[in-house]
Order: sequence, then structure tokens, then C-alpha cells
Amino acid sequence: MNCDQLREHYELYAIGLAEDPERSEIREHLDRGCEVCMAELKLARELASILGATAPLAEPSAKLRRRILASAGVEPRRLGWWAPFWAVAAICAIFAAAFFNSREKDLGRELARAQEQVRGQTIELTRLNEAFAILSGPDTTEASFGGAQPQPPKGKVFVNPTQGVLLMASNLPPARTGKIYEMWIIPKKGMPMPAGLFQSAMEGTALYVRRGAVDLNATGAVAVTLENAGGAPQPTSTPIIVAAIPSRG
Amino acid sequence: MTLLPILLALDVEGDRKLVERLQRRDPQALAELYERYGRLVYSLILRMVRDTGVAEDLVQETFLRVWNRAQSLDAEKGSVGAWLVAVARNRAIDYQRSTTGRARNTLELETAEHPALFSDMEKDLLASDKARRVKAAMEKLSANQRQVIELAYFEGLSQTEMADRMGQPLGTVKTWVRAALKVLRHELGAAVPA
Repeated sequence: MNCDQLREHYELYAIGLAEDPERSEIREHLDRGCEVCMAELKLARELASILGATAPLAEPSAKLRRRILASAGVEPRRLGWWAPFWAVAAICAIFAAAFFNSREKDLGRELARAQEQVRGQTIELTRLNEAFAILSGPDTTEASFGGAQPQPPKGKVFVNPTQGVLLMASNLPPARTGKIYEMWIIPKKGMPMPAGLFQSAMEGTALYVRRGAVDLNATGAVAVTLENAGGAPQPTSTPIIVAAIPSRG
Repeated sequence: MTLLPILLALDVEGDRKLVERLQRRDPQALAELYERYGRLVYSLILRMVRDTGVAEDLVQETFLRVWNRAQSLDAEKGSVGAWLVAVARNRAIDYQRSTTGRARNTLELETAEHPALFSDMEKDLLASDKARRVKAAMEKLSANQRQVIELAYFEGLSQTEMADRMGQPLGTVKTWVRAALKVLRHELGAAVPA
């Protein structure tokens, strides 16, 4: 087929509706660097992007931002249960300092630092709350991993059918530059399902929560692989963590 | 559909600098990216998966992917907004397919969201005159035309699946799809770049 015959199929291709033989023809044109097809497809991709912005507006929960920053390793703070009190104390101290110090610049810096501290503590508390919800669920199933290995990581996985999966690991060194850890839910039948990306802390510990329903009866194991930054749709390396989920009933 | 708040939220001028900061792994840049596009991405994914918990997980994955692959986007010419939309839609489609037992073509999804594909786009695409025209045209489609576009785009249905869902002959559905895309394409092509 020539480019003219494919003209009506670029948008279909861009939104996933193209069918063979046109779909294969477009791919073939693109593979050989057809400039007409590349230009047409650019317009079609623009259209697809714009369609994405026509969804009715919805408001995410306030904690989503904190989850995203925490899971990216931004503002990682390890704090105890007293963290909120320290935060309040820090803010009070700053306001006291402001009372006696008229230099606005210094005040601004102090406030920014306090806000940063509070934000970090809130992220951690949110994550711990999510972890606690899974740990305390009456129908949570628990599985250990790494116990028999001379070189850990070791830890536990907790799976709750309504809350999600909690992974706690130790001796898991931070993934090197360009790499990231990816968790997988491995069904008893079928392909592994990606369950999110995470990074471990400098001291080699990881606490990762994947929210969402899990069919415990259909789940065989939870695993973790080391993947390229951005993750992978399917595992590309040997799992470094495999926790077999015990059968129920 | 109220689009104005989204358009106002997109700080067009700042996108290029924001991408540069993402590429330098500036942690605050990720926070700003979320401030700018978080609601748009969440709205899209929620429309597709219709579950707030799942939607938030997929938004998280979307932003992590972009955070970890920002090096590949052209800060001068690339559209980070368009890229985010593509990544978000693919995450949601992958989820839809995994839960409905439909075939998952992860290689195709990976290919469709490669940052290089968005490097020749207007960096302010989602706030451009093109976008305004296409969105206005979407409102003017007939009910059937709009429905097939929404079923295809937001629910990832094939034309055959749409015909089954709507109880209409496949040929009719194909006609509606083509007519709708023709209108939208015309608006995209006719728009004056912002």
C-alpha cells in the first residue's frame, strides 16, 4: 500500500484501532523511515494526546502526591512515632525565632526548611498508615523470603485481598544508577503482573506498599526483580526476591 | 466537560525548564510536574479504570516512569504533557486488559510511549490552539460518534468489541469512527499553532 491509501488509518493506529493489513503496512512504512507516514503519525499522536485531556476532571486524594514523591525516593525520611510532635516543635521554634528576629530572609529559609521537614514526615506517616492497614487486616496472608539464602535480601510479604501488598525487606542495597526494583504479583496461571517500582533506603531496608485488590486464591507468589529505570512490562532478570503465597483453606 | 481549569493549570513557559530539571534529577521538579499535570493524569486514568484506588496506583506508576525516563525527552521540542498522557493511557490500558482477560501487547505499549515519539511535538500541545479546537470539535460530534471515540480511547475497545457492546453492525461502527476522526483531524490540521 502507498501512503495515500493509509491516510485514513493513521489516527486509528494512534489510538489502537488499526487492523491488519493497514496496521502492518504502517509499521512497515515507519520501519523504513517513510517521512510521509512519520509526519502523519505525529499529527495522529497529537490528536490522541489531546483526547486524553478531555476526560472529566477529577480530584486525586491529597496523599497521592506524597506517595509519588516517596516512591521516587524524594524526601525519604525515616522517623519514629513522635515525628508529628517534632514537627510541631520545629514550627513553634521557628515562629519564636521569627518573633525575635526581624530578618525576613532568614525567616523565609527557616520556614521552608520546616515545611520540608513536615512534608517528609507526612509522607512517611502516610506510608506507615497504609502498611498498618495491611498488617492489621484480619484476612492478611503472610509469606517469608530469603531465610535460606546465605546472601539476603530477607523479609516478609503481607497480602490483603482488599488492601494490597506490603513488602518489608532488609539487606536489599539501593538499586544502582539507572536501575530500580520492580515488584510482581505472580498468578498461579498466566504472566506476572507488574506491581510497582520502588527503591530501597541507603541502609538496605525497604518498605513498599502496593495498594489495590489482590485475588489471593489466584496468586502464587510475590516477586521482585531489578529492572532498568522506568521498569519493565515483564520481568527481564532473575527475581532476587520470591515469596510463595500459601494456599488458603 | 470543563477544560478551562486544566488549560489554566498548564504553565506553558515553564515546561522546557521543568524537563531540564527533571533530567538533572531535581527532586522538586517531580513535585512541580505533579502539581502541573497530576490532576489531568488522574482524571484520564480514573475515567479509564473507574476505581479511585487503582487509579492512584497507576498515576504513581506513570509519574515514576516519566521521572526515570526523562533523560530521553527533548527538552527544547518535546511535549512532556503529551508524553505523560500517553504513558498514563498505556498504564490504564494494560490494567484493563489484565483484568478483563484480553490479550496484553506490552511491547506495543512500550513502543507507543517511547519519549522520542514526543520529541517533535509542541511542548505546549495540551494548552495550544490545536487542543482547544479539537476539544471543541469533540463536543460537536454526534452522540454515536463521540461514544465510539470514547469507547476506543478510554476503554481500549476494538471496533468489533464496540459493535458488540453497542449492538450495532461492525460496518456502522467503523463508519462512525472514521467520520468522527475525520472531523477531529480536520480541526487539528486547520488549527493555527499557538
